[in-house]
Amino acid sequence: MNPDLDLGLERIIRAPRATVWSAWTDPARLAQWWIPAPTRCQVDRLDARPGGAFVTRMSDDGAEFVPHLDACFLVVDELERIVFTNAVDSSWRPANPAPVAMTATITFGEHPDGTDYRLVVRHADPHARALHDKLGFAEGWGTVADQLATFVEKAAR
Amino acid sequence: MAQCSSQLDGVFVALADPTRRAVVRRLGRGSASVGELAREFPMTLPSFMKHVRTLEANGLIRTVKSGRVRTCVLDRERLALVDDWLAEQRRTWEERTDRLEQFVTAPEESTP
Repeated sequence: MNPDLDLGLERIIRAPRATVWSAWTDPARLAQWWIPAPTRCQVDRLDARPGGAFVTRMSDDGAEFVPHLDACFLVVDELERIVFTNAVDSSWRPANPAPVAMTATITFGEHPDGTDYRLVVRHADPHARALHDKLGFAEGWGTVADQLATFVEKAAR
Repeated sequence: MAQCSSQLDGVFVALADPTRRAVVRRLGRGSASVGELAREFPMTLPSFMKHVRTLEANGLIRTVKSGRVRTCVLDRERLALVDDWLAEQRRTWEERTDRLEQFVTAPEESTP
């Protein structure tokens, strides 16, 4: 873990591991806790296997749903571990999500009181993303300006 | 908001380098002179000074010269800008875990 960029969370959840697992992997169950009420959650895709799609949308009025998460599972170990990232989207296209790309690892362990639930979220460097955007933008417009200059100079001759 | 964002950009420039992050962590334990800090990093003093100047230019540290000794002090307020960003992600995940916990421990969950 990089303490400047990552976060960790541990909790004992007083429910069987299978129950916590199905809350994560059953679309109807995930929809009930994934996004804070009163915002509604729609789970479009929850293909819990490596490379599978993880897509959720949200709605404030229950009518119009807007994108929330477009991610991809990296690891799914039945009842034990889920790893997903939004740095690669559900169609495996490299993505640059706002505010920052992350990889989340959730582990489900046995505990006498229920489930030993642990989460590590590793974030990309948000500055790297901002810089990338700026550079890409500047280069793109620089090229356009150069081409325009070449064009008008030719036309002027 | 834009000003806060450009300050944040500066902070991330400063923190985008492992040496500078290590200096910030080291100063989190207390102030130190440039000489003391430089000894902990395998590089020449001029190279190390570049990192110190970047940290100072972006407001993450302040340096105070007394005689021949330059002391570096962490500016915690500036560092809090980063904490705020990460704190927001943390809050999101903690609240999400609260909801998960409530959902799986609610009585109706046993008979869905």
